[in-house]
Amino acid sequence: MTKTKTMTFTFSRRRAAGAALIGALALFGTLGPAVIAADPAQQDLLAPLAPPGGDYLLGTDHYGRSLLARLAHATRLSLGLAVLTVLSAAIPGTLLGIAAAWAGGIADRALGIVSDMILALPGLLLVLLLAAFAPGQFLPLYLGLALAQWVEYFRVTRATARTLLSRPHVEASRLLGFGPGYIARRLILPELAPVLATLMAFNMGTAVLAISTLSFIGVGLHPPTAEWGSMATELLPYYFEAPFHVLMPAAMILLTVLGFHLLAGEDRS
Amino acid sequence: MRAVSVMTPLIAAMLGLTCTTDSLARDRVLQVVGPWEITGIDPIRAGYVFGRMGVAETLVTVDGDGNPIPALAESWSVSDDRLVWRFALRPAARFHDGTPVTAEAAVAALEKARSGAGVLSRTPIAEITAEGSDVVIRTATPFAPLPAFLANYTSIVLAPASWNGEGKVAGIVGSGPYRVSGLTPPLRLDVERFDGWWGGSPKVGQARYLSVPRGETRALMAESGEADLAFALLPAHMDRLRRNPRVDVRVVPIPRTRMLKVNAGSVFFDQVEERRALSLTLDRAGMATAILRNPANAAGQLLPPSMAEWHVHDLPPLRRDTAEAKRLLAAAGWKAGQDGILVSPDGERFSVQLRTFTNWPELPLMATAMQAQLREVGIELDVAVGNSSEIPAGHRDGSLQMGLASRNFSLVPDPLGTLLEDYGPDGGEWGAMNWSDPALTKTLEALKTTFDPAERAPLRARVSEIIQTELPVIPIAWFELGVAVNKRLGSVTIDPFEISYHLADLTWADAEAP
Amino acid sequence: MAISIQRQTGRLLAGRAMQAVTVAGLVGVLSFALVRMLPGDMALRIAASRYGPDLLSGTAADDVRAELGLDQPLALQLADWLGRLVRFDLGNSLVSGQPVIDELAVQLGYSLWLAGFALALSVAMAVPIGLIAGLSAGRWPDRAALTGAILLRALPAFVTGLCLIILFSVWLGWLPPAGFGTWRELTLPALTLALGLAALSSRVVRDSMVAVAASPYFAFARVKGLPERTVVMRHGLRNGAIPVVSLLGLQLIYLVEGVVVVESLFAYPGIGHALVHAIFARDVPMIQGTALVMGLVFVAVNMLVDLACAALDPRQAAR
Repeated sequence: MTKTKTMTFTFSRRRAAGAALIGALALFGTLGPAVIAADPAQQDLLAPLAPPGGDYLLGTDHYGRSLLARLAHATRLSLGLAVLTVLSAAIPGTLLGIAAAWAGGIADRALGIVSDMILALPGLLLVLLLAAFAPGQFLPLYLGLALAQWVEYFRVTRATARTLLSRPHVEASRLLGFGPGYIARRLILPELAPVLATLMAFNMGTAVLAISTLSFIGVGLHPPTAEWGSMATELLPYYFEAPFHVLMPAAMILLTVLGFHLLAGEDRS
Repeated sequence: MRAVSVMTPLIAAMLGLTCTTDSLARDRVLQVVGPWEITGIDPIRAGYVFGRMGVAETLVTVDGDGNPIPALAESWSVSDDRLVWRFALRPAARFHDGTPVTAEAAVAALEKARSGAGVLSRTPIAEITAEGSDVVIRTATPFAPLPAFLANYTSIVLAPASWNGEGKVAGIVGSGPYRVSGLTPPLRLDVERFDGWWGGSPKVGQARYLSVPRGETRALMAESGEADLAFALLPAHMDRLRRNPRVDVRVVPIPRTRMLKVNAGSVFFDQVEERRALSLTLDRAGMATAILRNPANAAGQLLPPSMAEWHVHDLPPLRRDTAEAKRLLAAAGWKAGQDGILVSPDGERFSVQLRTFTNWPELPLMATAMQAQLREVGIELDVAVGNSSEIPAGHRDGSLQMGLASRNFSLVPDPLGTLLEDYGPDGGEWGAMNWSDPALTKTLEALKTTFDPAERAPLRARVSEIIQTELPVIPIAWFELGVAVNKRLGSVTIDPFEISYHLADLTWADAEAP
Repeated sequence: MAISIQRQTGRLLAGRAMQAVTVAGLVGVLSFALVRMLPGDMALRIAASRYGPDLLSGTAADDVRAELGLDQPLALQLADWLGRLVRFDLGNSLVSGQPVIDELAVQLGYSLWLAGFALALSVAMAVPIGLIAGLSAGRWPDRAALTGAILLRALPAFVTGLCLIILFSVWLGWLPPAGFGTWRELTLPALTLALGLAALSSRVVRDSMVAVAASPYFAFARVKGLPERTVVMRHGLRNGAIPVVSLLGLQLIYLVEGVVVVESLFAYPGIGHALVHAIFARDVPMIQGTALVMGLVFVAVNMLVDLACAALDPRQAAR
């Protein structure tokens, strides 16, 4: 029963809801910064923590900066970073997985050992060490997350490709002299696509959570960059005066991760 | 063997499951929370927590105004040539292992303190000797602030049993009203009453210090009644705690100032007009209101009014005037460039990096606020939030342009100790950079050797005035220590010098206390 | 058959042991190399962490540099670490000056205790919820469980934690918001972690319950006339356990490093907290030690999962 489900990426109602949610967020992230007039870094120290309504649609943060503008910029940043991370992890991971399964032998074993090693290294160590090279910069966060995530794609792809490669029709194509590029494109990737799509959607959610978590432990981006995690963390001391303000970035994280999880579906296990 | 040690906390925790609820009811533990971690056990790393929790004592301590008062030393005197100090120890003083506090033990402890990175290593002490029950300290040159240096936590007197054969601290055997009953670095210290204390027996039997790095959590500890004393409350939490009927919020000004350190050797800040313009641009009142929740904390000069002997009341306070700032910058040769950022005659953009760090959570907030304020006059600020070491590192290799730091003037409870270090002829890692002033150097040197209070007063005022006109650093905001006190505690005093929590004076206000 | 299983197990253990040794070497060399390549003055950083910013000075940093031999050739320092590792000596923390092994023993102990409690709580929540959801697949209890699970997964841990503190410490006044040592302090951080874990594992329990309920032997047992409860206990649980055990292994690994946020929020001492601090402080032996311990925990947990799966389903071990 679950077998048939994993093999085709069905567009259930749940997935449609996820896609709609992510679509809406992406729209907010891409159009928002252009449409909203307020500068996300413009402070008004005399109007901190203004309530929603009034001059600012969603109120202001503790510096009197427009929350709406900051949320829009943060959405663009988090979604962008998540997409970039996941693509940079998925593409090499998948290619290496297929290559390992195709080549077999020493190359396969060597790649297997490397992936085991990276899995055994605490992902946190990698990200923290890279972040220490250039604190507050975008690049190390992105690199660290991508480095920690590619192994998953590699392992899934390798396992699936191995079974696929031993199937009669694939073996026949191989014997007939079709090259690895053709076989990968026509016979392996289509079979892998649903699993990979699920994994990627799921990992986007993970990346969004990871970025906000890193901000919470103080390994985030330079101020005044707007990022959900750092917004929530900076506003956290005001949780009783302005609970709504803390909840907004938290809700954005929640909605995004929720959207990606709905999009990923239930098939991952 | 190692497996056993991994198991120890597990077993301890399991035992805790069964017995702590009982013992809690029988003997209440006073819980103190603060943000400071216990980074080791020796005095230089963690002496502050042993001092504050009443485990270890210094020869001298200070009263609420910063005047030296007796502690382990019952009295002291200084020779006529002002080079020999004689401290008479209390005959009744005992260490927690029962041995008497002898002059030999005190000398050994102070010698250790002097050889490390503690504040005694920065004094002109020539020799420390024991003569009968007196500790005798000889200095190479007259050094008036010596008692204040002895009051610092790195100068605590520990029993000889505290050190192992290799000379490393193996356990804390102090002489204070409380002794260590458990220590889990970096987060927790448990202490219990020591009945042999010279000052009598404390009323509160057990206490615990818990390091809680996050401000929200500290506030919630106070609010839920778990913490009896919660230190370093964030301004945002104080209003809420004030409405809590169980909690009393005390706000004590402490001798600490948040300030901008500037590289006076750089093209941006080499002229005093540029430094004044920088100062005139900053909205101190706005930052103090929005971030510190108290406009009175806007720093009108370097040293706060609570340091009555140093603060000069009739000095015109630093103020905000962006028009004047723009005028001064133009006079110094800066013109607005294409993108609105100022450009020097040589074509250098006024774009500087501001380094700050997170040990005080408001520093990055203020840096972000200043970033926006400086942009108004055409100064571009790149805020780099990192580690506290990056400011001294930048001072040493000359790469620092601006640094936002919080400077403690009571580490040695006489601010002279800090000022000497920060504003000497070569500047200081947390003070002036590529800036010195012969008049200031001379005044500071004079203070070092002047013992007469009447002569000291005008010299102190002179120091404050020179710093105010020359602005080698830009004062931003003074500091308040917010403390939540549970109302079941009585006789609480908050020490502005952060030397002691005065646990020995505390009482349980309610009757059912043990 | 029995002999072959033993041999399989032996090979499995040997493989994992090899992995452990390589992980140890790699972690040590990598963290050493990366930390030494980092910008900034290491001695000053260490001094800042040791003495705090107030007492920090260039002279203090110079003393640290001399004391720790930081100006010695790098190869010599690394060889020194590896040489001591072979003798099971991880050296002393550069910040606290205490032996790394002692600090790790305390911190790993607290982390394991937290992780174990969180795992137990999550199982206690996930299994009944998963079973109920699985047996009512597609109906409202299933949907409700799914909605709850997705929402909990999507919430950042610090938000969950703060909500729990406000609920249990401030409103109800039952549990302290921070500290460690007894079950009272342990409950809230463990619950924060457990909610996130249970969200995922309840779905896995539910899925394997659905799969088992659809299988022929389950139907057969029902046909035999065994009562529902017995069917579930005897056939459902054992067969449904395999994916759950694998998942538990994964979660334990996630826990040991994923606890950083929770440790920071609840002021709980643990290995994640130790690692973050060690990296901020450039405390190389502590970084090496914590990373080593995390790597070894990873290997050990994988090994236990392999063994448990083999015990639950001997056919798998033969593969």
